[in-house]
Formats: sequence, structure tokens, C-alpha cells
Amino acid sequence: MVIKNFSSKPRAAFFDFACCEGCQLTVLQLDDRLLELMAHVEIIEWRQVMSGRGDKYDIAFCEGGVVRNEDVDRIRSIRDRTDILAALGSCASIACHNSLRNEWNVEYAIKHVYGENAGDFDLIPVRPISEVVEVDYQATGCPVSLKEFVTVFEHILTGKIYRPPNDPVCRECKQNDYVCVYEKGRICLGPVTRCGCGAACVAHGDACHGCRGLVDDANTDAVFKALEPKSRHTIMEQMVRKNRLTETDLMKKLSIYDPPKKPENGKE
Amino acid sequence: MTYRTISITNLNRLFEYIIESKDLFAPKEREDQPGFYRFDRILKPDEITLSYGTTTIPPKAFFFPPEETLFTFSLSDEGAKLNPELEEAPFVLAGVHPCDLAAIEALDLALGQPPADHRWLFNRRRAVIIGVDCTPDEYCFCGSVNTLNSRNPADLFLTPVSGGYLVEIPTARGLELLSSVETFEAGPEHLEEAETRRKEKTAQLTAAFNRTSADIAGVLESGGFGDIWKELASRCYSCGSCNLVCPTCFCFHTDDRFELNLTSGHRFRSWDSCQFLEFALVTGGHNFRGLRRNRVRHRWRCKFLHLYKEFGRVFCTGCGRCSRACTADINMADVINRLVHESENHSETRPGKEG
Ligand code: SF4
Ligand code: SF4
Ligand code: SF4
Ligand code: SF4
Ligand code: SF4
Repeated sequence: MVIKNFSSKPRAAFFDFACCEGCQLTVLQLDDRLLELMAHVEIIEWRQVMSGRGDKYDIAFCEGGVVRNEDVDRIRSIRDRTDILAALGSCASIACHNSLRNEWNVEYAIKHVYGENAGDFDLIPVRPISEVVEVDYQATGCPVSLKEFVTVFEHILTGKIYRPPNDPVCRECKQNDYVCVYEKGRICLGPVTRCGCGAACVAHGDACHGCRGLVDDANTDAVFKALEPKSRHTIMEQMVRKNRLTETDLMKKLSIYDPPKKPENGKE
Repeated sequence: MTYRTISITNLNRLFEYIIESKDLFAPKEREDQPGFYRFDRILKPDEITLSYGTTTIPPKAFFFPPEETLFTFSLSDEGAKLNPELEEAPFVLAGVHPCDLAAIEALDLALGQPPADHRWLFNRRRAVIIGVDCTPDEYCFCGSVNTLNSRNPADLFLTPVSGGYLVEIPTARGLELLSSVETFEAGPEHLEEAETRRKEKTAQLTAAFNRTSADIAGVLESGGFGDIWKELASRCYSCGSCNLVCPTCFCFHTDDRFELNLTSGHRFRSWDSCQFLEFALVTGGHNFRGLRRNRVRHRWRCKFLHLYKEFGRVFCTGCGRCSRACTADINMADVINRLVHESENHSETRPGKEG
């Protein structure tokens, strides 16, 4: 029938790298739908929920970021032993909070956090899994959106290419008729952030903080334009003034999940 | 055209009468943001605010929802089974402003003519529409696009006058609905009052461009304006809000979703925006409007040139929603004025045509 790619029931596994394991927990929130999922795959390794180990896999869902040399070896070894590798969540796909550490050099960060035990850690600059090995499927989000996980799962099992949504969060926000956060006098990163979460944070009265990462052609320069004294960005500008934001503040806001390049001129 | 008057009490009776047998949708103040309104399901007439300013999402959503299932499907060894999904219950949509009536009329042209979008047609036939006159704000420019006094396709149209409303009855469906409550023949004083109101309304319109639709189309067709598009693109986030709140935009995206059982699912469509990076991306990887400035330019050309040529009317009703929604402060009427100004004052120095 629809399952095209696999000759027998595919063997799936879940792995975690540096992260909070929240994406795995999110998947567990499928509750009894997890049984539906298991009708299609045999789960042979998932440290968070079982003790079994596998050797070769058809599908590996990998969560977290690469932060130590040994992580590089481990993700490469998983890549070698799996047919399909799916990055689960923002740490694995776009770096997420982990990468805030990259603002300091590794030696300084290690000493600062681990003091005299610093020597026990073999830290390297933080990277998402997707920057170390080739990733076949990707679902971003902090945590991953359950709806998107199901969609990615379905695409894997039916042998389809998955293209993560590349429209901004405003799309889902407007489609749901949520009141725009800017109307409430606050800054929202929705206009530059990849949708797919259903504008979850706006739905619950917060602003979008950008956890799904920037859309491919995010106009982050326009965000900084709001800082110019004669900016025409009335709304953005008002928020910047009201909240007394500086370029550093804006950069920090934008950098929590998916650091943009520094503002550059002449890009349209 | 017949004119009647109706008292507030009788209008509320009419709404009660509607609620007894049908769904009624009308402007209602938002609980999550007082001072903001949206078209909502009405259970009691006093929930309605007919004197609302505007809504973020236009009433087109009742005929062409933001996201809708086109059909559900199930696959088995015998093949695929499709089940179309269509809501059939009739409903009444009340409190629609002239600009939004004009937008429904425009979409009747774009979606209702062969090859028609059958879902649009189907949903349009389910609805009785009651229009109401409005009070413009600084973003409205209906006076510049001939929609200030639009009535089509309303079945009834209300204008506030002392003691209640003046009722225009453009259709037989409207007449039938109105016959369920007591109304009175309108006198010359009522018509005069409505006329005075119209004049006041016109005087309140601050956003405007004093050019005909043909002029604007001509300006856009002459091409150029590279600097304007570039400047707008430097501010635009490509967030799509302008299209998503527009009452005349009709572009959509279609996709399939499977259930976890992998044998059933649904095909859906949802509102799209030509400002999104991947809107004009086609198989093979070519993007017809990969540059932001070309996407920005396309919005004006679509509404004031392409659709004008196709249907003989601009696809902008002056509702101002796009300007209100834009966090980059890109204002529809301002941009038209800049284009007109540029074309009239610098036409000899402008670079040549751009695709
Ligand atoms: S709240 Fe944020 S995501 Fe929603 S429309 Fe406003 S800017 Fe966009
Ligand atoms: S609204 Fe923004 S921060 Fe919230 S889940 Fe969606 S992408 Fe993440
Ligand atoms: S709403 Fe404004 S910023 Fe967003 S796409 Fe439209 S013009 Fe650009
Ligand atoms: S092309 Fe753009 S402006 Fe034209 S109808 Fe579609 S979304 Fe609206
Ligand atoms: S383009 Fe803007 S002003 Fe014109 S109809 Fe659409 S939302 Fe309203």
C-alpha cells in the first residue's frame, strides 16, 4: 500500500545529544497514538523509554546539539548505521539555546562553568547535528511541534521528501485571527520566524521568540532599521523606543534560537 | 430600490428571528482585546456591535476559510475513496461594510465565474448578507476606489438614522427576510439624513489618491519605479500579513495530510501570500520572484494592473487592512501616491520597463 520505502517493518530509534530532551517528551505526548505509530515501525532503541539497544536502523530520530568531540564521532557512527536520519527539534536542526555558548570561547566557557574540573570536558563550538552529518528530514521547534513530527513521520514512511514550512509565523497567526502582539505594545519575532507551530505562543498570549528558526530569506536588516533615528518602521520603532531597546538587545532577542548574520547593507 | 426604516428594537427582533433557525455571524467585540472586533457566531442580539470600526480578518473567510478540508480520503487494496467535505447549513452574515461588500463582489468575479471555484459558489449561495454603513479611519481610502457606497451583493443594507436604521432592500431574499418584522416606509427626512451621513463620511476620508483606476493601471504598466520597490523591500519582512488580511486576495496553497494510520487523511487548502519566498517557486527549483522587491512590486501590479485588465476593476477596496496589519508601516494608499508622484514628476528620468 502506501509504505513504499521499506521491504519489512522499519526499525526506528531515538537518540539524544546535548539538549533538554523536551522534544522526545513531546513525542511521548502522542500517548495512545504512540501505539498507532508503533504499528508501522519497530522501535529498537530509545534511551528515554526503554533499555534495548540496536545496531543497524532504518530510521534514526536525533535530538540535541553537537558540543563535544565524542558527539561528532557518535553522530557519524549513527549516520553510518541508519538509512534515514531525521533531526528532531531546534537543537538538532538549527543549534537553539546551546549555541548561546558560542558567544564565548570554549576555554573561557569551560573554566567558567566547571572550574577546576574543566579538564574532564572535551568541548568544541556548538553545532546542530545538521551541520555535522547529512540530515534527510528535519522538524524544528523548541520543543518540536507534535503535528510536524507526525507529518515528518508520515513523509518518511510514505517515501516523500519533506520541505519544512518556509513562511513566517504571521501566516498561522493571521489564519487563526490572533490579535497581533504589536497591537499590545510588544515585539514579536513572528515576521522572520519559520511557521509550523500554529503560532502557539501568540495563541497563549505571548510573543513569538523565534524558536523554529529564521525563514530562509528573513529580513533581519529590517529589524535593525527600526533603530535608525529616522526610521519609517513606525510600529517596530515605537516598540523599540517604548522598551528602550538597543541594537544589542535586538541582536540578543534574535539570537536565542537561530543567530542571524550581523546586519549588512544592500540586501533586499 | 425600496427604502424602509426599522427601529433598534425591531432590528434586534429580526436578529432573534434569524438566530432561531440559522447561524448568525456579525461583528462582536473581542474578549481577548477590547476595542477590537471580529465576525463571530452570535447567540444574543446584544452581542452585536454594528458601529464597529473594522475587523482584522475580512468576511470573505465565511466563503473561503483560512484553512479548509477539500475532501477526506481513505486508501485500501480496492483503491482510494474520496469523501467531499461541504458544510451545507444556510447562514446570515450581518454587519458587512461597503468595502467588504465590494470585495465579495470582486471575488464573485474572480472565483464565481467559469471555471468557477465550486466551494466559493456553494458557500456564497448559503448566505444572506446584511450590510451596514461605516465610519472611516485614517487607513480607509474607499473614496479613491469607488467602493464608498457599494451595496452589491448585500440582501439588505442598513444606514443609521435617528430612531434606528434606514434599510435598503436590493434583493428579493432581503425583502423576504425583512418581512418577518415590522418596518415603516422611509420618508424624505430619512433619505436626507442618510445623505448627510454619507457626506460626512466622505469628508472624514484622509487617505486618498485622486486618480482613476485606469490611471493607476497605466502608471503601473509604464514600469520602472525600481527605487520605490527597493526601498519598500528594505523594510518589508515578507510576512504575508497584508495578503492574509486582504478581503480580495484569493491565492491558496493545497496539500495532503495522512493520519498516523497512513491509510486515511485529508486534502486541505489554506490562504497563501505572494509575499512569501516560495510563492512563485516551481518544480525544478526556479523562483519567478525570488527577490523581495519583485514580490513587493507584484502585490501592487496584481491588484491594480493584472486583475484590473482581467476583470475591469481594481482588486483593492480601500479597506486599509493591509496598512493596519503591516508591522513595517507599508501603507497601501501612500505607496500609490508615491508611484503616481514619481510617474508624473520624474517620468523622463525613470529607468525603462521592468518585467
Ligand atoms: S503576533 Fe507576531 S506572528 Fe502574529 S501577526 Fe503579529 S508579528 Fe506576526
Ligand atoms: S510562536 Fe514562535 S516561539 Fe512560539 S512555538 Fe512558534 S516559533 Fe516557537
Ligand atoms: S505586511 Fe508589510 S512587512 Fe508583511 S509582507 Fe506585507 S508589506 Fe511586507
Ligand atoms: S497574487 Fe498576491 S496580491 Fe494577488 S491575489 Fe494573490 S496573494 Fe493577493
Ligand atoms: S489591498 Fe489593502 S486596502 Fe486594498 S483591499 Fe486589500 S487589504 Fe484592503
